[in-house]
Amino acid sequence: MMKERLQKLQDEALAALQQAADLNALQDVRVQYLGKKGALTDVMKGMRDLSPEERPAIGQLVNTLKDQIEAVFAERQTLLNQAAIDARLASEKIDVTLPGRGTFAGSKHPVTLVTEEIVDIFSRLGFVVEEGPEIEQDFYNFEALNIPKDHPARDMQDTFYISDDLVLRTHTSPVQIRTMLKNKPPVRVIAPGTVYRRDSDITHSPMFHQIEGFLVDEKVTFGDLKGILTHFLNQFFGKGQDVRFRPSFFPFTEPSAEVDIACVICGGKGCRVCSQTGWLEILGCGMIDPAVFESVEYDAGSCSGFAFGMGLERIAMLKYGVNDLRLFFENDLRFLRQF
Amino acid sequence: MIVTYNWLKEFVDFDYSPQELCDRLTMVGLEVDALEEIGGGLESVIVAKLESVEKHPEADRLTVCQVNNGSEIVQVVCGATNHLAGDLVALAQPGSVLPGEFKIKKSKIRGQVSLGMLCSEKELGIAEEAAGIIILPEGLTLGLPVFEALKLKDYQIEIGLTPNRPDCLSIVGVAREVAAMCGKPLHLPDPQIEDQGQEITQKASVTIEDAELCPRYAARMITGVKIGPSPDWIVRRLEAVGMRSINNVVDVTNYVMMELGHPLHAFDYRLLEEGRIVVKRAHQGEKFISLDDQEHNLSSEDLMICDGKRPVAMAGVMGGQNSEVQDDTETILLEAAYFKPTAIRRTSKRHGMHTESSHRFERGADIDMVPVALDRAASLIAELGQGALVAGVIDNYPQQLKTPVLSIDAQNVEKLLGIPVACDQVEQLLDSIGLNVSAGDSPSRLQVTVPSFRPDLEREVDLIEEVARLYGYEHIPTTMPVGTVDAPQAPLRQQLQKQLRDTMVAKGFSEAMNYSFISTEALAKLGLPADDQRLEQVKLLNPLTEDQSVMRTSLVPSLLDSVARNLAYRSNDLRLFELRPVFLPLAGAETCQEDLRLCGVLCGRQQPEGWSQSATAVDFYDLKGIAEELFCRLQIDRVDYNAERSEPYLHPGKSCTLLCQDRVLGTIGEVHPQVLAEFDIDQPVFLLDIDVEVLIELAGKHPGFTPLSRFPDVIRDSALLLDEEISAAEVMRIITRSKVKYMEDAVLFDLYTGKGIPDGKKSLAVRIRYRDLEKTLTEEEVSKAHGRLIKSLCQQLGAEIR
Repeated sequence: MMKERLQKLQDEALAALQQAADLNALQDVRVQYLGKKGALTDVMKGMRDLSPEERPAIGQLVNTLKDQIEAVFAERQTLLNQAAIDARLASEKIDVTLPGRGTFAGSKHPVTLVTEEIVDIFSRLGFVVEEGPEIEQDFYNFEALNIPKDHPARDMQDTFYISDDLVLRTHTSPVQIRTMLKNKPPVRVIAPGTVYRRDSDITHSPMFHQIEGFLVDEKVTFGDLKGILTHFLNQFFGKGQDVRFRPSFFPFTEPSAEVDIACVICGGKGCRVCSQTGWLEILGCGMIDPAVFESVEYDAGSCSGFAFGMGLERIAMLKYGVNDLRLFFENDLRFLRQF
Repeated sequence: MIVTYNWLKEFVDFDYSPQELCDRLTMVGLEVDALEEIGGGLESVIVAKLESVEKHPEADRLTVCQVNNGSEIVQVVCGATNHLAGDLVALAQPGSVLPGEFKIKKSKIRGQVSLGMLCSEKELGIAEEAAGIIILPEGLTLGLPVFEALKLKDYQIEIGLTPNRPDCLSIVGVAREVAAMCGKPLHLPDPQIEDQGQEITQKASVTIEDAELCPRYAARMITGVKIGPSPDWIVRRLEAVGMRSINNVVDVTNYVMMELGHPLHAFDYRLLEEGRIVVKRAHQGEKFISLDDQEHNLSSEDLMICDGKRPVAMAGVMGGQNSEVQDDTETILLEAAYFKPTAIRRTSKRHGMHTESSHRFERGADIDMVPVALDRAASLIAELGQGALVAGVIDNYPQQLKTPVLSIDAQNVEKLLGIPVACDQVEQLLDSIGLNVSAGDSPSRLQVTVPSFRPDLEREVDLIEEVARLYGYEHIPTTMPVGTVDAPQAPLRQQLQKQLRDTMVAKGFSEAMNYSFISTEALAKLGLPADDQRLEQVKLLNPLTEDQSVMRTSLVPSLLDSVARNLAYRSNDLRLFELRPVFLPLAGAETCQEDLRLCGVLCGRQQPEGWSQSATAVDFYDLKGIAEELFCRLQIDRVDYNAERSEPYLHPGKSCTLLCQDRVLGTIGEVHPQVLAEFDIDQPVFLLDIDVEVLIELAGKHPGFTPLSRFPDVIRDSALLLDEEISAAEVMRIITRSKVKYMEDAVLFDLYTGKGIPDGKKSLAVRIRYRDLEKTLTEEEVSKAHGRLIKSLCQQLGAEIR
């Protein structure tokens, strides 16, 4: 009689648990059977009426049933819990392709970027940054660099004058003079800066930027100059960059050289950018002229050195493929933001 | 300098192809800028014969020609008038492309088929002007390309010469380099004039009054000259190297100048007063008309060639109108001279006259070339002008210039270049370019006599450069310098500049770069008072344009221009900055002061446009936040935002001066609407302008670590009712100075006026965080501290707690 009742209870309870659609309903079922006023509690209360012989067996049955209900309950609870979480997450789905909440992205000027990169490469070789004034005295810009007045070499750099003696520096080379007058060898200096030439067209800007480097020590050779610059060009433009040195003339270096790299646009086959030569002129350099050493009171007998200089806009144009020099000074945000 | 492949071949028998020759010239330091084939691509323009020439039935001005091209007769319509049946002509066949991308096609002209075009010299690119089509000389083979038949096939080689190589301003000079590179002999022209007596001295004389500026002056005379056009070969050669043919006499002087590098001048002898040449300086203010019809006001430093009475040529620069060769000139006095380079340069600069002649003299001509060039030109003039040489030569060379003798040590070569070179290799290399080398006073030394055509070789290092050049830079091995490397950290100034840029970029700013020179009016737009120091600007003596005539004393105008330009391109949300110097004149000083400034502009939205971003516009506090960030990064604290002082170009109520330790750091604020209007800007712009020099001076070190408390914090919020005039800074100053116990930090978190607040009042809410390092604070401890703080705020500011 009791057994049947328990059997019936079991069937009902398990069915009810299975049918409970959500966590609340499930909890209700649990209370209905296991709660203080629950069906199983009723059965327990009825135990009193049983004979002592029957009690253990029925008691065990009740406990088993209780455990069974608890187990199914737990199982259902986990299941429904998961379902509830799944349902909530499903309802929270967003469009992940909508753009993120951005902030304004700033940018350094491309000339600053290449300057920093070049300075970085030379810093690792022990070169220190030096600066000089942009309004420069004739002595530093020309005289001390072995460019006397009335010398045709002055034509190489069309100059803006402030007065007879003051010019807008036409190159960063005066930093050489200023540094060497200040420091004794050995020196390793890299000097970026703004320079000015009286020339303005599609390929010339009256203001542009250069970076100058020089090294003076006891036994510096032309081979060392080739070594340092080849290293630099391979760092900057990529390993295996074809480099050539050819004779040229600068009043403040001797021997002087122009350095070409294999055209980065066509790889040396010849194109419009390299005027079909396969080579791009990238920098000028040479062994520091004894006349320069004389003007800074270095003893050319006991030291030697080299210097080099390059135009930063040109380098930036090659690095980023910019095809118009004027863009560098128009400050169009659409240009600036690309860097 | 332009040379041609075939002209070079006259002097040295090299085997290089045109391209190979150019590559080699570049690698010895004569950089080839361009190589162009003369008549290149014109192979289908051929020699043809006019079998008949008849009037076009439909057009009076045209002719219909039957043309024999060597294999068939074709019909061509021609608009010229100078051709007759039987003439040999240049026929551009269909498919030819003439200079200027002019494509020849089979066509019908007024109903008549035309299979090509009969060309003029201009159309073939061999002359600048042409009166009709070219009539070729008889005897050429029909069907042969015209350039080949006329032996015009050649290559133009344009060399970008460096100013130290005047010796290469001639065909012979370049040929000398080619001879050195291929190891073959150089054949110099050797004009031999067999003179009988010195008849010339009876007719002309040369006096050098200034032997310093004119060390040598030589002359010859040719009589009975018939002025006329030059023969084709001279005309073509001159045109190939970029010169125009004038007449047979002038052309010879130019031809010899191109060939030998020495400028010459031909006078009409009958126009020389007293038949005299006097070389002397001009009188100050004397007038002179050069043969290009320009009048010049002479200076007493100009060296002039004069006759018995007046100047007849500007020495080494250009001849005079009063003595130039004319159509009826018969007797020529031919000048070959040498002038001091700096004198020619000054005169040429002073009068703005840059000529082929001055170009050579100012770089240094070859004094020994004077008689050679003179004889070469005199005999050519006599030949081409059917004249007769007057016997004898005047060669006034009072003081022979010294031939420099240099010495070079093979050890020094090795020291500078890093290559071991034997003495005999040095000797062989220097000998190859015509230097006279002999043994020196030690086994490694050589003595070098420098010929007069290489005025650039003055020192041992010049010779070492020649060795390097001829040895080949490409053969010098690549090494790395040895030596001490003492690589200190970047100087503070550099570091701070980078830090400022990094901070601005992190704040969303893009770096701009404007020209350092601006127009004089640019500053006027800012409305600065008349005594403002910035109105004193450094002026350029020779600006390119008025817009770039003074050095800027402020970055503001250029950056506002950049704003306007970007707004015109509809880039509306702008954050731009510039970190560059301004230039201030120093009274009575030799130089100017250059102060680095940081200028930033801000306009548009606070956040980039987006589906969930607010479209709120930026305001003063966005700008101020950026300034605060900059100072924080540089460890500059206690900056006073002083609203009492500002700039005239800023909004008086929304701007302030930034002060720190009594130094002016700069200003921030909204740009004055009237100033914006001057710049055509129609939306609010916020501007920051900071003196980086002061910033660098005040930049501090990191203050060091503050220990962290492991105990909980307690927060107290209080809303203060204050008079409107009381600034937030005053409130914060009292809070920070109160030194209330346990206070960790304080934030102004709300500002409110309006409903519930009496007029003239505002509500400012502060949030104070209390915490102790050692213990958890009790309610009582916090209340006591906070109470004390509120009390002092109430007492000192008359605040009430809401």
